[in-house]
Amino acid sequence: MNSLPRTGRLTRRRAMALAATAALAAPALARAQAKAQIVVIGGGFGGATAAKYLRVLDPGLAVTLVEPDRTYTTGPLSNLVLAGLHPAADLAQSYATLGMRHGVEVVHDTAVAIDAAARKVRLAGGRTLDYDRLVVSPGIDMRWDAIGGYSEAVAQIMPHAWTGAAQLDLLRRQLQAMPDGGVFLISAPPTPYRCPPGPYERASLAAYAFKQAKPRAKIVIMDAKDQFSDQGLFEDGWKALYGGMIERIGLSDDGRVTEVRPDEMTVVSEFGEAHKADVINIIPPQRAGKIAQAAGLTDDSGWCPVDPRTFESAHIPNVHVIGDAALAGAMPKGAFAANTQAKVAALAIADALAGRPPATPTYLSSCYSLLAPDYGISVIDVFRATSEGISPVAGAGGQSPRQADAAFRAEEARYASGWYASITEEIWRS
Amino acid sequence: MFGHLPLKLSICGKMLMLAAIAALPASAAAAQSADPRLLALSCAGCHGPEGRSPGTIPSLHGQSETAIAEALRAFRADQRPSTVMGRIAKGYSDQEIDAVAHGMAVPSK
Repeated sequence: MNSLPRTGRLTRRRAMALAATAALAAPALARAQAKAQIVVIGGGFGGATAAKYLRVLDPGLAVTLVEPDRTYTTGPLSNLVLAGLHPAADLAQSYATLGMRHGVEVVHDTAVAIDAAARKVRLAGGRTLDYDRLVVSPGIDMRWDAIGGYSEAVAQIMPHAWTGAAQLDLLRRQLQAMPDGGVFLISAPPTPYRCPPGPYERASLAAYAFKQAKPRAKIVIMDAKDQFSDQGLFEDGWKALYGGMIERIGLSDDGRVTEVRPDEMTVVSEFGEAHKADVINIIPPQRAGKIAQAAGLTDDSGWCPVDPRTFESAHIPNVHVIGDAALAGAMPKGAFAANTQAKVAALAIADALAGRPPATPTYLSSCYSLLAPDYGISVIDVFRATSEGISPVAGAGGQSPRQADAAFRAEEARYASGWYASITEEIWRS
Repeated sequence: MFGHLPLKLSICGKMLMLAAIAALPASAAAAQSADPRLLALSCAGCHGPEGRSPGTIPSLHGQSETAIAEALRAFRADQRPSTVMGRIAKGYSDQEIDAVAHGMAVPSK
């Protein structure tokens, strides 16, 4: 089309037009050919943050986000939904802004295989995506074989309600239907798992709801560990707010659930004691999401070892694992940690592709928990990459003060909702 | 604005007492300064994108570089009461605080 007429006279005007076209076309072509392809697997707090900031940091990158769900259901805020204090719709996040404002190609499919040698990701729908760099942010998978008798089918009777809208809704309806005087049993997993204070916040907000509607109800936490996140703060709050409504049985007191009997609505502890309840929430032991296991990104622990400065996999080059699936040293598994790891990984990728030296990272994590709608606590840490992995900065961070008045707890509860509004705005709406 | 933190005086008193008991070194941060680009993105998770908070956490958008840096130093020294900012600010060096402030502030003129 642009070839010159064989015998035509090239006018000055035409020559200038051609030159201009060539000047515009040549670099554009070079850019298109050199455009690095980044694939991000998983559209949660880690993956969606990474997709956004890869495009913000280097608009020359082509970024494809692979996420099965059209709407993401957040874990944060979900215990308020369980307790009937927030509509479930408040948890739903859309990918429209990532696509329209940031030019991320959002593919609603499931990644089933990674070919590390050929740098390709295969999707369940049959499509194959090439990558120069891959970000894997698959979240968690349940260890379905860890508790005898528990399975995905039994989770329809004894929900985990730890991922996804359907499980959350199931447990919410069960709690609502539970009679006054009934027992709600929560089986809490061993460390590490997603959202360390989550089971205890869940017990707290269930107690808040029961106190209004079913004051004779009881909550039993059977725990596969002795110590838990923010333990003193939770125990103080439970005593002050709910009297004896919440009882916790730790590992040393035979608190680990090893078997479930859904037909009897019973769980069995390590030493054989059966506990019957009206509603049973089994939060199973966890490991990195399925694709991380399938691709060989996990080690014997079931989680993914990474470089603490870049979150590049210790097993496969050019693949970065972020969020709950990663072994991130002292960082807790949670939304905020995933968000901050995603920024570090996105910058590491942008720098590496541009030939810049690696940046010195800094990480931040904050976990807010509500013991009641106006009673919030937090644990916060600033982290650095050290020779011992990712470690908290000494003298900084920590938990809310054990001694604080009601106004302080109310302020933290307000900030808990503010944090949720801000981080979801940052990731999915701006 | 940081100045809008609606904390009661009783808390301030307690916080100052705690600060006096647990007087920590001003700079506990790592020797190597964190990348300024990452520091500039650190605030968004709580204070919203570009410091525009859609919820209950104070917005930083529109504040001057000096105001943000001074506030962070005051939080770090427990001279200004807070719920979490004191705990966070203690994780950063002077150089890093300046980088955070520079990255967050609207360019003046």
